[in-house]
Amino acid sequence: MGIKKFIENVKESLGIDECKNTGKKKSIKRLLEKLRARKEILNKVPKKKLDKKEKKELKEELAIITLQIKKGEKILDEFNSQDTKNSKNKKEK
Amino acid sequence: MLRRIFLPSILIVLTYGFWISPDFKEISAGVAIFLFGMLTLEEGFKAFSGGTLEKILEKSTDKLHKSIGFGFVATAIMQSSSLVSVLTISFIGAGLIGLTQGIGIILGANIGTTTGAWLMAGFGLKVKISAYAMPMLVFGVILIFQKAKTLKGIGYILAGLGFLFLGIHYMKEGFEAFKDTIDLASFAVDGFKGLMIFIGIGVLATVVMQSSHATIVLILAALSVGQITYENALALTIGANIGTTITAVIGSLSSNIDGKRLAGAHFIFNVITAVVAVIFMDQIISLVAVISDSIGISSDNHTLRLAVFDSFFKIMGVLIFIPFVDKLVNFLQTTIKPGKKEEDEFEGVKYLNDSVLELPATSMASLIKETKHLYANAFEIITHGLNLKRSNIISDMSLDDVIKDSYSKETIDIDDFYNHRIKGIYGEIIDFSTKAQSHMEPEDIESLYKIKLANRDIVEAVKDTKHLQKNLIKYDKTSNQHIKEQYDNIKIDLAELLRNIDLISKMKEEDEIILLLSKAKVHMQRYDILANGTLDRLIRNDLVTNEMATSLMNDSAYAYNISKHFIAMAEVIFIDSSGDIKNIDEDMVISDEDVDLILKEKDD
Repeated sequence: MGIKKFIENVKESLGIDECKNTGKKKSIKRLLEKLRARKEILNKVPKKKLDKKEKKELKEELAIITLQIKKGEKILDEFNSQDTKNSKNKKEK
Repeated sequence: MLRRIFLPSILIVLTYGFWISPDFKEISAGVAIFLFGMLTLEEGFKAFSGGTLEKILEKSTDKLHKSIGFGFVATAIMQSSSLVSVLTISFIGAGLIGLTQGIGIILGANIGTTTGAWLMAGFGLKVKISAYAMPMLVFGVILIFQKAKTLKGIGYILAGLGFLFLGIHYMKEGFEAFKDTIDLASFAVDGFKGLMIFIGIGVLATVVMQSSHATIVLILAALSVGQITYENALALTIGANIGTTITAVIGSLSSNIDGKRLAGAHFIFNVITAVVAVIFMDQIISLVAVISDSIGISSDNHTLRLAVFDSFFKIMGVLIFIPFVDKLVNFLQTTIKPGKKEEDEFEGVKYLNDSVLELPATSMASLIKETKHLYANAFEIITHGLNLKRSNIISDMSLDDVIKDSYSKETIDIDDFYNHRIKGIYGEIIDFSTKAQSHMEPEDIESLYKIKLANRDIVEAVKDTKHLQKNLIKYDKTSNQHIKEQYDNIKIDLAELLRNIDLISKMKEEDEIILLLSKAKVHMQRYDILANGTLDRLIRNDLVTNEMATSLMNDSAYAYNISKHFIAMAEVIFIDSSGDIKNIDEDMVISDEDVDLILKEKDD
């Protein structure tokens, strides 16, 4: 066994890469929670009371948050599918 | 001058010593091997200092007792108070810990050095230590030749320990053989005179060997074969403790002001402890005898009793000093003051000095802090270049009011500001980065490159402001309200950008940071006056002259560049370097395509 393969095996058995991904997943989950809460608050703002400029700003902020949530969900999905793939591989082994 | 005389004198004395006594040669070789072992050991521990050690140091030094504990444990493990001192000076230099915590570590390290005496007295002198040294050296050297950083580090540690043990072996052998030819004990001097003479010898030996650890091991080796008396050995130990501060003072000459203050604290602490020990010498000897008897050390076992004395003397010093640490910090801050250059906040660098270069983590932390310093200067220059007040930008004042409240009636000389507050710092940052790079691993170099780019972004933003300034002033006084309105809009947009970047620099909530950055990126598109039809409208309706239209087009591009550079800088300095958000920034920061999407949605 080459040294690179050996290191890969050790990494896999200790789940070092998984740890890194778990940290990232947690960070994204936390961020998503915050963004969703913010979106909910913005959606509840009575639009009739706002002037034209404020309405424009609100719309822009909502558009940004919606896009960020979509991005976050996409990354989370990628992690989840990667996790399922990894656990399947482990079972097969 | 002194150094020039010092080195040749030492070499001449040693050569003469080797010529007249082969045993002296063996002892000296033992000391040399021991010191080489310490250097190798330090090298080994440095291999593990790429993050872990720094993180532990940062977390375990927030309180004085924790700092003392850290200093003790680190020195006991690494068997080198000088490495711990270097690390501490690096961390203070990088601004990661304060002087109080630094002093705590030094106090702990002082107690940590006593473990060396215990190891030597309890283990090194009783067994054939060279038997352990040989395999350690062999395994160590094999591992040193490996490419993997960890294996290399372990190799250095093993070889370092091997050399330490081998050095002890030679010192012991040398003194045993020496005993047959010359009886050094016959030079023993009793009473206060003897105490002072041997303290002086201890200081000198430590200054020459640059290590109190080596001196104490040498004292123990000599004491174990009866070449020195127990009383003289105690005096030598006190001397070694003073001598080690002189090496720290010499070492601190190249460090920053806090490094010098730390060396000052070390010196004051050790000298006062020594004075107290000299005054109460008889009482301390009696107490050491009581402690030694109670733990079963026989009265003729002078080496272990010396280890008890060493521990007692150092712990006593720390206990005396703990209540006065804050006062010591105040004293050092008032007595050791920065030179004129360091005092001037804007002219030179604040956080870069050679003492932080040793470790990648500290040099990186210093670079980020210095970049933030450069950003603070650039922030001020850009604000004043736009004829706005910094205090208004960072307040809640409406942006319309911010641009109405001018900073000055006269034109600000951006070139002068640039030369005084940007150019020098930027040059030093680049110079420091080049030096730091040689101590770094590829992944660190990648981060370093990003920091260099962030600095370049800051400088470019200042240069763009200079280009923009000319027409901002010109059209501020124009009678054409249409062009004035456009330039006011540029000012408002840039003021908004500066306010948002300032908010990002102070924020901790990652959702707000990401939102503000995304907004800044979206708002950048406002400068595209060709695409949004502004320029077309102004020209078609004959509201501006051709010259005005060209100026507006060029200046919008400058404003766009200022925003682009500042946003790119913020992504590196305020996001990439901070905690949780560092994990997600690359994935969550919006791209140009995302900006188009948001703009489309906004217009719908």
